[in-house]
Amino acid sequence: MPATKSARRSDATKMAAAQKEISVSEFFAKNRHLLGFDNPRKALLTTVKEAVDNSLDACEEAGILPEIWVHIEPTAAGKYKVGIQDNGPGILKKQIPLIFGKLLYGSKFHRLRQSRGQQGIGISAAGMYGVQTTGKPVKIVSKVSKGKPAHYYEIQIDTKRNEPKILNGKGDGEDIPAGEKGLAYIEKHGIEWVPQDHGTRVTIELEAKFVRGRGSVDEYLEQTAIANPHVTLHYLDPESYQYDYTRSAEALPPEPKEIKPHPYGTELGRLAAMMEESEAMSVSEFFRTKFSRVTPAIARKLCESAKVSVRGSVHKVDRPQVEKLFEAIQSTKISPPATDCICPIGEDLILKGLHHVVPGEFYAAATRPPAVYRGNPFVVEVGLAYGGTAPTQNVTRDLLNDLLDETDTRTVRQFLIHTFNGLGGDSADKIVKESGLKTRQAPSGLKPKERDKLLAAMKNVNVSEGQQMNILRYANRVPLQFQQSACAVTQTVIGTNWRGYGLTQSRGSMPKGPVSLMVHIASVWVPFTSESKEAIASYPEIQKEIRLGLQAVGRKLGMYLRRRLKVRQQSDRREVFQRYLKEVASAVSVINAAEEKELYEQLLNVARKRTAEADTKLDDRGRKVEEDPSQLNLGDNVLIVNPAHHEAAINRVVTAPEEAEEDAEA
Amino acid sequence: MAKKKPAATPAKKTRVKLSPRDEKTMQALVSLADGVVDAATKRRDPYVDIPSRTLSNVKYSPRKGILEMGNGKNRRQLFDLSQAKAYMRTMLVASGCKRLLDEGKTTSLRGLFYMLKHTIEGSKENTFDDQNECDTIIEDAEVLLTSIREELHLYAENRGAMVGAITFTDKGDTIDCSRMGSGGYAIPSIVEPDVIVLDRKRCDAQFILHVEKGTVWQRFNEDRFWEKHNCILTHGSGQPPRGVRRMLHRLHNELKLPLYCVLDNDPWGYYIYSVIKQGSINLAFESQRMAIPEAKYLGLRSIDYDRCDLSEGVKIALTDTDRKRAKQVAKYPWFEKKRPWQAEIQRMLKNDFKLEVESLISKDISYVTETYVPERLEAKDWLD
Repeated sequence: MPATKSARRSDATKMAAAQKEISVSEFFAKNRHLLGFDNPRKALLTTVKEAVDNSLDACEEAGILPEIWVHIEPTAAGKYKVGIQDNGPGILKKQIPLIFGKLLYGSKFHRLRQSRGQQGIGISAAGMYGVQTTGKPVKIVSKVSKGKPAHYYEIQIDTKRNEPKILNGKGDGEDIPAGEKGLAYIEKHGIEWVPQDHGTRVTIELEAKFVRGRGSVDEYLEQTAIANPHVTLHYLDPESYQYDYTRSAEALPPEPKEIKPHPYGTELGRLAAMMEESEAMSVSEFFRTKFSRVTPAIARKLCESAKVSVRGSVHKVDRPQVEKLFEAIQSTKISPPATDCICPIGEDLILKGLHHVVPGEFYAAATRPPAVYRGNPFVVEVGLAYGGTAPTQNVTRDLLNDLLDETDTRTVRQFLIHTFNGLGGDSADKIVKESGLKTRQAPSGLKPKERDKLLAAMKNVNVSEGQQMNILRYANRVPLQFQQSACAVTQTVIGTNWRGYGLTQSRGSMPKGPVSLMVHIASVWVPFTSESKEAIASYPEIQKEIRLGLQAVGRKLGMYLRRRLKVRQQSDRREVFQRYLKEVASAVSVINAAEEKELYEQLLNVARKRTAEADTKLDDRGRKVEEDPSQLNLGDNVLIVNPAHHEAAINRVVTAPEEAEEDAEA
Repeated sequence: MAKKKPAATPAKKTRVKLSPRDEKTMQALVSLADGVVDAATKRRDPYVDIPSRTLSNVKYSPRKGILEMGNGKNRRQLFDLSQAKAYMRTMLVASGCKRLLDEGKTTSLRGLFYMLKHTIEGSKENTFDDQNECDTIIEDAEVLLTSIREELHLYAENRGAMVGAITFTDKGDTIDCSRMGSGGYAIPSIVEPDVIVLDRKRCDAQFILHVEKGTVWQRFNEDRFWEKHNCILTHGSGQPPRGVRRMLHRLHNELKLPLYCVLDNDPWGYYIYSVIKQGSINLAFESQRMAIPEAKYLGLRSIDYDRCDLSEGVKIALTDTDRKRAKQVAKYPWFEKKRPWQAEIQRMLKNDFKLEVESLISKDISYVTETYVPERLEAKDWLD
């Protein structure tokens, strides 16, 4: 190759022509996977999730008990229209375009306060995705109070400039008048709106794929209902099934407080920036007012060890001094941040939420005291539901008949999946196979004999066989559904020894058993591994708290399971003795020719006496020990129910009230 | 109390007249059964106290040089969920032995297992699932009734063989151990005087040479070692069974023959020697009848690799279990105070390899019979 001096393909001037600023929206439009829009399936979920999270945050901040409507309907092949409405405070007219049409616009980024959203990317990114994939604008209706008109906007995001573009009302949005007239308008424009005094509805049309099961919208809403028992959710899915999660708690969680950053959690760059942005003040004052837990004495100590003038202006501190200050912070003992800014769900509500949604027989919850990682306070909460027999096994023939008549599903498999909560497709397949019915058979058309077969199969198939522990992860009450294995929660669950608590677990894997475990981490700043907020980073402090929480509920589960086993053993006991007594009696009579029958009767009497004694064993304080596991006293944060009477286990088709009245008259 | 009715079972089968020894066993059996009836009528928990057969209940008697069983006992109760089955099995084994005694027959351990194995009425459970379960209960019964296996009319599979310059009678048949061909006389499980009668006058042997395994024994027999050195040659297929140990004991004590052992140079070999010499932990109650405190350990020694100039290829590396076991053996009270033994075990650990008797074949096929053992005997070079 000839070595010429003109080997350079370009030069600095030419290259400069192609160098220009990239807007945030352009960057994320290209890298939408960073925000959770990797594929159509996940895009649908992320859209619902961002909208619901925002709604909940808004309602709670305004002090309103949240009620949320989610409606997903298919519009064309691979396209869905998603509408989410809340009963929140509504949004001021001039803010609407900015919130929904500009990336990184929000109220939550700059403050340290426990909330679901953090950055202000989510909902506008969902809108951007919708516009990109379908070309349809985002539609927003928001109403602030009863008498005032609702604002209606159709918005597209201008990706180049990261600015909203308003399409209706000549770029100014439109007002929908209150009252009857408004309803007519809504009807005319094809906007959906559940009539309300105040609230916001956002409608996005996007390319999506609707699935059920893991990582689905269904799962997200169900898990949200568990962690937010004060929320009522109405969900109409694309196949027109209506799910209603009604609230089980009537009180809002206490309002989280905003806190100032703690010096330990502040990085060098951030410290320098804070100093630069600060108004003119002394260094000491800067530390005292901008950070939490810095007293005048500590501020002085910091300055002294960094050799910075205490009274000097904060703007006069140069870079090397900032570094010194940073080092001084790390080596000075500062009390940990206040922890009252965290609002955990609470053990009571975790139990309520779990019991309301997850069928089971044993529930336990533990809220850990607040702890601190990198200067950020956080709280770990753990809830556990141990499911007894599957709902399919508790069905009587009559109930099955009713359910079969009520259902509007097309196949038996679908009927099973929709009727019995927590029954996956695999288990439904097993039941259908066992029953010997044809896969495409309609449930309502089953003959009595076929119904018998179905019932027998439902009773016989052990759906919990080989079932793995189901982990529900939450960060600030938001379910995390992806990247399970990368999450600190999952890693800690695997790293905990569950064998001591009565579950089976092979080394380095999840424990097995009909168990649902919920782990909630509440913090002013949850450390996620990426922007799409799917997994929690493994800080040792966080892992330690999770482990302690897991052990707390694990111990209770272990006690319950051991007691249950003991009761079973007690009833086995008499039987065991009786079985062996006959052998002993006949062996003895072979040796000394004793009357076998008489000896057997006598031994049986002794056995009765012995087991009766065991039944009424006294505890250390001389009280009768209760052998019934449901009477076991395990403390306050435990709930034991009879799984046969679980209402959440079976979905019944809601019949309209008028019909019910007619039935009653007839 | 449950009435006793006249025993109906032996009506058909002719009841054999019991020997005085069987009479004693029978008494022990009946009193065991009576204990159950007694407890039942008094509405008390039936139980048996079984002398414990564990290391903690075994004492080494330096005076006698044997292991002895202590007084520790384990109570086995019928109305204890974890012991109920074992209790039932104990009674089953006792009833099985009673039937054997009644009919004057003996059976193998496996035979008794099959006699007693059946499904428990009203369940899918078997009385015994595995012969091992039955064998341990038999050992329990032996200590419980203070009657050894032979007295319960039980025997184990024949294991171990002997040849040599001796003649005795076995159940009336004359056995000349110098005319046993290549297979040797299979040492039976029961070698009590009522089966085997030894006669001092018909024994020309001067000593007994016990080797570990059949393969080594073959070598000695093929080279007619016993003929050249005028001895008795035995082996025990590894850990010698009770029949072999009892036979050695009788030959040693009744015919006053010294015993020399040629075993592998590994912790297992040391332990075999220890069992022959002091008795085993599990069968400590039999030490009196089996242990031979005067037994000598002829080889292989850990110095033999250098002394016999063996080739590199015969080394077998010690495993972790070997090392652990060796340290345990070194701590046994009967080895602890013997300097030569401590040196021997330390040397093996230092070598970090073990040697099998067969390794001597690398020198010459008959090195062990023609050089190794004669030299050791000549030099009186052994461990005690």
